Amino acid sequence: MNEKGNLLDIQGVSFRHTAQQPVLEDVNLTIRHGERVGLVGAIGSGKTTLLHMIVGLLKPNQGQVEILGQTRSSERDFWEVRERVGLLFQDPDDQLFCPTVQEDIAFGPLNQGKNREQTERAVRNALSLVGMEGYEDRITHHLSGGEKRLVSLATVLAMEPDVLLLDEPENGLDPVSHERIRSLLLSLPQAMIVVSHNVEFLASVTTRCLRVEDGKLKEIVV
Amino acid sequence: MSCTTHFSGHTVVHRLDPRPRVVATLVFAVLIALSGHYRVLCSGVAVGAFLAMLSKLPIRPLAKRLLRLNLFMVVLFLLIPTTSPGEPMFRLLSVPFSHDGVHLAAGITLKANAILLVFTSLLGTVELSSLGHAFHHLHMPAKLTHLFMFTLRYLDVLHHEYVTLLRTMKARAFRPAMSVHTYRTYGYLMGMLLVRSLVRSERIMAAMKCRGFRGEFHAYHHFHFHQRDAVFCLTSAIVLMLFAFVEWISGGVAR
Amino acid sequence: MHITEGVAPASVAAAGALLAAGGVALGLRAMKDEQIPRAALVASAIFVASLVIRLPLGPSSVHPVLNGLAGVLLGWAAMPAFLVALFLQALLFQFGGITTLGINTVTMGFPAVACYYLFSRRIRESKKGREAFLLGVAAGVTALTLSFVLWAGSLILSGKQLAIIVKLSLLPHLAIVTIEGIFTGFIVGFLARVYPKAFEMPHIIKTRSDP
Repeated sequence: MNEKGNLLDIQGVSFRHTAQQPVLEDVNLTIRHGERVGLVGAIGSGKTTLLHMIVGLLKPNQGQVEILGQTRSSERDFWEVRERVGLLFQDPDDQLFCPTVQEDIAFGPLNQGKNREQTERAVRNALSLVGMEGYEDRITHHLSGGEKRLVSLATVLAMEPDVLLLDEPENGLDPVSHERIRSLLLSLPQAMIVVSHNVEFLASVTTRCLRVEDGKLKEIVV
Repeated sequence: MSCTTHFSGHTVVHRLDPRPRVVATLVFAVLIALSGHYRVLCSGVAVGAFLAMLSKLPIRPLAKRLLRLNLFMVVLFLLIPTTSPGEPMFRLLSVPFSHDGVHLAAGITLKANAILLVFTSLLGTVELSSLGHAFHHLHMPAKLTHLFMFTLRYLDVLHHEYVTLLRTMKARAFRPAMSVHTYRTYGYLMGMLLVRSLVRSERIMAAMKCRGFRGEFHAYHHFHFHQRDAVFCLTSAIVLMLFAFVEWISGGVAR
Repeated sequence: MHITEGVAPASVAAAGALLAAGGVALGLRAMKDEQIPRAALVASAIFVASLVIRLPLGPSSVHPVLNGLAGVLLGWAAMPAFLVALFLQALLFQFGGITTLGINTVTMGFPAVACYYLFSRRIRESKKGREAFLLGVAAGVTALTLSFVLWAGSLILSGKQLAIIVKLSLLPHLAIVTIEGIFTGFIVGFLARVYPKAFEMPHIIKTRSDP
């Protein structure tokens, strides 16, 4: 892939759940290598919708989605996207579904077709990245909120994505876990879009910020 | 997104009291199932078609249901007459279709369509929770009614949870295939859904206790019996008795 | 594995209804009021799964039935749970039917109860995930095989000519039973590791309502 090209280029995208009020209207967004973009906006303003559209979980009613240098529209187009763009869901309970931490983290790499050895390595690396070594055999269902969040992040990192889409990664965490997530994000090399309600947090982890309002994206200074 | 939608509408059928609708549907189904005469079965299909029109069932979903049912019936028509012994009624591509087999398949097809049409028109048009209340007022065992209502209440919640989990799995590049990995993944997904359901059922019970639940549910939903309901009861009674009468005068085995 | 509307003659339908009524009555007696949410949630979960999960099988796919799982989790309460689920399936999706509701409840419910007696305690006492997995496989296979036998029996009782359907579906059912077993195994293994409490329903599974 061309290192200078755009990782992500969205042009004139609109999305509506029903015929009425559109969620997003004529939105443009470009993300380059190494860029870290913060996304703020009221609840229901379309932040999560935008992230889900990038990985093809939702399809726009209008507009063009270009990711990793190719236009993507069909479900099949997004198969590759999902292997290279990691989405962290808002609620870790939506993300974790395997009995143990280890199995959950291995799920993505296995879907990518990695063999047993590579998968084991990916699990170890991901756990050490989020500072959760030794959690391999813990039952995900029994983890605390902060631990669940870190493990969800590990499940995404284990796939070694080029881009990270993080939906409120720090929301509802105690101060210690909060700080851990913050320094972890700062240490990651990937380009990322971070959704949050916490402007201070965004200012410390991102390079620029956008506000979603009335279906549009607006550049803001934080 | 819902998996528990009924055929809503504002026709006279929709406005009828659900209780007589439940009773009429059951009696109709039993009579049709018992019947062995084409005139009764055909009248049954006619009654069903009439009710379907009266309740203005949406064409597409109804056609889908009818199609699904009748695809199976086509299989019956091809299988049963060609494999059962007896006098052939006719030959198709020199394959004999037996007399008895054709009658059996035809009887089943008519019964199934008649019951489907009446069932869908009369009960498919009741909002599901009203149906629960109707069961309650028809003196179905209380626990069964509550089980019905609770099941109904959580179907959409669980369906939503399932869709959400599946979506996060897709985001992690999951693509179903015929493999142990796929079966395991679905197994874990279902396991997680169950764990959450069980935990939730404990919370529900706790919340119910906090609001004074002591092992007894109190119904507060009541139905009103209007003149149109009386008309419906009378009409159905006449039609159903007519069916029984025709069945009786037509005698035993004859078709 | 449903008997479709219209297929069963009155005698078979009535016998099915009677048997189902007896089983449901026992189930209702066993189920305490405060266990209703639990039975309902398990019923909902299984209903949703049997509706939307498609397990790939060759070029096609099969829906899970999960009556073995229901039995292991609910005991006798699986009877009313299946009655409700099958009624809703008939009403909402036209699977099965209203006159065959009894037969279908028997077909699904009794094998579930059998699995409760055969496997529930062993799963509860199983020490390792692998053991629970294997017991789950056994429960899934047993329940669905019994269901197949009951289904085939009621079809043949409904008309000797219908035996051809049984013959033709024998092979596909072998594949379905295998996949159901594996699937149930993974679910039971999951529950045994993550939430062993799932198998501890001290009251719901007794036929007597008093502790």
